[in-house]
Amino acid sequence: MAQRLDAALELLDRQLVDKDGQLAGKVDDLELTDPGDNPDPPDVTAILTGPAALAGRLHTPVGRWLAKAAARLLAPGHQQPSRVPLDQVEAVGASIQLKVAAGQLDAGAGEARARRLIGGIPGAGDAAQ
Amino acid sequence: MRKLLEIALGVLTAIGGFVDIGDLVASTETGARFGLGLAWVVVVGVLGIIVYAEMAGRVASVSGRAVFDLVRERLGAGVGLLNLAASFFITLLTLAAEIGGVALSLQLATSVNYLLFVPIVGLLVWLVCWRVRFELMDNAVGLLGLALIVVAVAVWRAHPDWGAMLHSATHPVVPGTESHAAYWYFAIALLGSAMTPYEVFFFSSGAVEQRWTRSDLLVNRLNVYIGFPLGGLLALALMVAAALVLEPRGIDPSHLSQAALPTSLVLGKLGLALALLGFFACTSGAALETALSCGYSIAQYFGWPWGKLIKPARAPRFQLIVLVSIALGAGLVLTTLDPIKLTEYAIVLSAAALPLTYLPLLIVANDPAYLGDKVNSRLSNAIASAYLVVLVVASVATVPLMVVSKAGGG
Repeated sequence: MAQRLDAALELLDRQLVDKDGQLAGKVDDLELTDPGDNPDPPDVTAILTGPAALAGRLHTPVGRWLAKAAARLLAPGHQQPSRVPLDQVEAVGASIQLKVAAGQLDAGAGEARARRLIGGIPGAGDAAQ
Repeated sequence: MRKLLEIALGVLTAIGGFVDIGDLVASTETGARFGLGLAWVVVVGVLGIIVYAEMAGRVASVSGRAVFDLVRERLGAGVGLLNLAASFFITLLTLAAEIGGVALSLQLATSVNYLLFVPIVGLLVWLVCWRVRFELMDNAVGLLGLALIVVAVAVWRAHPDWGAMLHSATHPVVPGTESHAAYWYFAIALLGSAMTPYEVFFFSSGAVEQRWTRSDLLVNRLNVYIGFPLGGLLALALMVAAALVLEPRGIDPSHLSQAALPTSLVLGKLGLALALLGFFACTSGAALETALSCGYSIAQYFGWPWGKLIKPARAPRFQLIVLVSIALGAGLVLTTLDPIKLTEYAIVLSAAALPLTYLPLLIVANDPAYLGDKVNSRLSNAIASAYLVVLVVASVATVPLMVVSKAGGG
């Protein structure tokens, strides 16, 4: 994928959609190559997602605290961002299509925990009418 | 035929859906204290929600994206997160006020203390959000909310001097007993109650979930252009009724019963029963909508699965947020905080936060990347920009006015 994109504008904060069409979080941060002495802009190597990735990108203490609180509440024990290498990206558009399932991402842990919490309530598996 | 029915249903539920505890409290209180001196704000507020709700519905239909989804994409992670925190807090406060409103309506009908109803109301709101035929319930309470038309009938039957009323509405003055700060404080409260952000969160999320497309743009326009003005008329009727009955008697409403007093004086027991039914239905519908909006805003910011039509197990974080929000809202009312005061703070803070919701919406509605040829027309941009100026001024003025007028206290 040697595509040229304005990463800040066309990747960051976009919606991730997994291989089954399910919403899978947002592009919370990007992993870049170390530019070293190279004057060219660095390349994007992976998409980072999850509240931990978000906290790393926020510059205000309040924002960072909010993101960390969200991470702790929803995915305790998973303080590392999920990493999606670019070769796992199917297409980039209004949303980012992935080749993997949401459950395979680390950020899926928060989803699984929430499902355990509410899964015992009768009707959790029924669609509303 | 099916389409026609769908449009009629949408319009009717929009009428009932416009009025909630904020309008009940703000219209009655301003009518009782300022006569028709603030009626113009209802008109301004209704036009504002029309312009921006139409935009939200159009963005949802064409791009398939709900409002909070776009807030983050347009404002970035940092500003978007602060926006989320503010919007969620205000929607939660509004949810608490609506739960309090449902419980107060039940107290008026049964004379049983409202606090006893709060846990039951919370449980029922959650059950509907969880799985009980949401659309059906939302439409049902929306239609029952039309019982509020009885307030307009009461105004009609009171044979007011229409000419004098029109004159006082078009030549607003601050009554000698009130301060200018209180006048403008309540103007902001009325604006907040008409343009409450949850209305566009709910409206746009519903449109996305029902997979509205370009072919639904007409339905969107009709819902908004007919439903909201008629809802605004109900809010005005409440204000006029209070101005006719409460203001001359010097009654400063501090309880929901006073919103029903004019109707019961003019139309008797049946009028009172219908008014209470209307209060109950409007606040119930709004409680459902605010509860879901709490879930929409957070789930859409983080990009998690959301929706009231999919299995709870497939959107567990969304459902968990809705559940916790309802528990927090009901808990707040159970602290015995006066639900009427709670409502006043919710609508005034809503007004202060309005630019947070409406600025990103206006930006996206002008972006061909999302809307193609359906971007805003020059006219709607001109109106929307003028409103944004008003909203920013109101937002900046809110806290100083709150301090100077001692939160509107006379």
